[in-house]
Amino acid sequence: MLLTRRNLMQTALTLGAMHAFPGLTWAQARPLVFATFTGSWEEAHKAVLVPAFRKAAGNANIVLDPMLSVDQIAKVNAARSNPPIDVMLHDPGPALQAIAQDLVEPYPVEKSAYYNDLIPAAQVPMGPAPFFQVVGITYNPETVKTPPTSWADLWKPEFKGRVGITNLNSTLGTGFMVELAKMHGGSEANIDPAFKAIEALRPSLAAVAANPGQLATLFQQGQIDISPGNFNAIQILKARGVPVEFVIPKEGAIAFKTTIHIVKNSPNKELAFKLIEAALSPEVQATLMEEPYLIVPTNTKVAIKGELAKTLAKDHAEIAKKFVFQDWAKINEQRAAWIERFNREIRV
Amino acid sequence: MAATLRDVTTYDLKLAAPLAAGFILFFVTPLVILLALSFQTDPQGGHYGLTQYVAFLGDSFSLGVLGSTLWLGVKVTVLTLLLGYPVAWLHQRSPAWARGLIMLLVLLPLLTSVVVRTFAWVVILGRQGIVNATLAWIGLIDTPLKLLYTEGGVVVALAQVQMPLMVLPIITALSRIDPNFADASSVLGAGHWRTFRKVILPLSLPGIVAGCLLTYAAAITAFITQSLIGGGQMLFMPMYIYQQASTLQNWPFAAAISIVFLVSVLVVVSIFNALGRLSRGYANA
Repeated sequence: MLLTRRNLMQTALTLGAMHAFPGLTWAQARPLVFATFTGSWEEAHKAVLVPAFRKAAGNANIVLDPMLSVDQIAKVNAARSNPPIDVMLHDPGPALQAIAQDLVEPYPVEKSAYYNDLIPAAQVPMGPAPFFQVVGITYNPETVKTPPTSWADLWKPEFKGRVGITNLNSTLGTGFMVELAKMHGGSEANIDPAFKAIEALRPSLAAVAANPGQLATLFQQGQIDISPGNFNAIQILKARGVPVEFVIPKEGAIAFKTTIHIVKNSPNKELAFKLIEAALSPEVQATLMEEPYLIVPTNTKVAIKGELAKTLAKDHAEIAKKFVFQDWAKINEQRAAWIERFNREIRV
Repeated sequence: MAATLRDVTTYDLKLAAPLAAGFILFFVTPLVILLALSFQTDPQGGHYGLTQYVAFLGDSFSLGVLGSTLWLGVKVTVLTLLLGYPVAWLHQRSPAWARGLIMLLVLLPLLTSVVVRTFAWVVILGRQGIVNATLAWIGLIDTPLKLLYTEGGVVVALAQVQMPLMVLPIITALSRIDPNFADASSVLGAGHWRTFRKVILPLSLPGIVAGCLLTYAAAITAFITQSLIGGGQMLFMPMYIYQQASTLQNWPFAAAISIVFLVSVLVVVSIFNALGRLSRGYANA
């Protein structure tokens, strides 16, 4: 072959294209893509779940592609017939959206070795829950001498100008509002009492964070002393030496199922199933329960120990008693309207 | 002979083809899709109409968000101009070694991520931050002031974060002014202030207009700084769009408000451009 300018260009372009779009060269055998959450979740999954999966799946390739639930939905929605993600991880609100938009496969429950060992709340046929997130009261023990015991403590006069909350964009903010509604005679269907309660909280508010991550910064900067907070987020702050403590209020902790789903039309369904099985297995859940991850297990075969037993609940029976699960199907129906209302009423 | 000479003042348009293709593929196409999406009447799709635009334009709250975002841009631009012009002027009047130093200080913020710069402002404006600590130390205040999560905080932080966009065009404009003009002005009896007002300022107007345009566009779309310093109680257009598109998955409405935002920004930009043309005429007069 003659080395002309033309075919030199062609070769260069082809090589360039293969480099720019590696998908061209993979053809069928793409690795399993697992969209986990960013931050501590990704670290935990990389360190514990991925090795367990690779052991169970004969060293199959896996890629973690961490992103927010809502972004996972957007990405899969944009390429339904050839989704770029095989396994999605969701908070309860987005999970129901994904199911409603027909983006996920039902979980092959009959094939699963662990599904029936999960606590009842975690047994979701469209995608089981391998973990919980728990929301309670976070406070600064240096400035708050008597530990709070109830959500109602946020309204105490001594916390005037010291309280932090987040807006309703997050699962945490929305869950907190629903809990407030319930405390004051409302429910998932009747949020009015929560808005009245927030209106009364106004003088106490030092900050309305745009997302839960900002609450951590606000504690660090001494901007707030007390707020609703995610148990796992607090553990990270604590480990960094920020003075924060977490308590479960007497009304119970707000608990969110984090569910894991096989994406519809995924070319890697078998591997996806194996990954989810690994996530449900008592071995993985027991390791993730230990320091530094402290992730709440859903498999009843895992005995609760350590920091979790101390701060949260000593066994699964107590979890069932102390954790409040909310009806996210109901919440989703009206969430847009609530966000709208929060935008208008809580705006400065 | 003349016929064989190539006209060097015109270029072959084919040279621009790769850029144009990239532009069409990655900018125009998404914009058309966005526009089409904004006419969907509901997130599930199907029907088309003006529902989303009616919902936005007929709602005083949404218009308020738009208005406060555009107004925020004005405040930031004015503050950046007031703080940035002296820096550019100082740069122009300094010896060579100091010019290098000032240029480095102006450019330094551009070398760090906007997230880092904004986080620094969280630390500065916090309850135990530099501002509050200093004021308390002097004894001017007993309890820390609330600076973070206020509009004032957002304006100050944005002004610093966007400062290079203002200073650089003004430096360029100032450096183009013939130093003899200032000398001539003073020989003719004008003082420093009059020389500045009548000679330097008008001649640097094109730089000011360019700087204002860049700062304004950057300030109103600065999602990160607006939400980190402003918090969840202040709603500006970028956060409003994010909330509708991401949390609520209401793409048609998000697309519609994006288009409305885009059009309003274009209006502001064309006003700036008109001013720029006027100022060029003024500068050349």
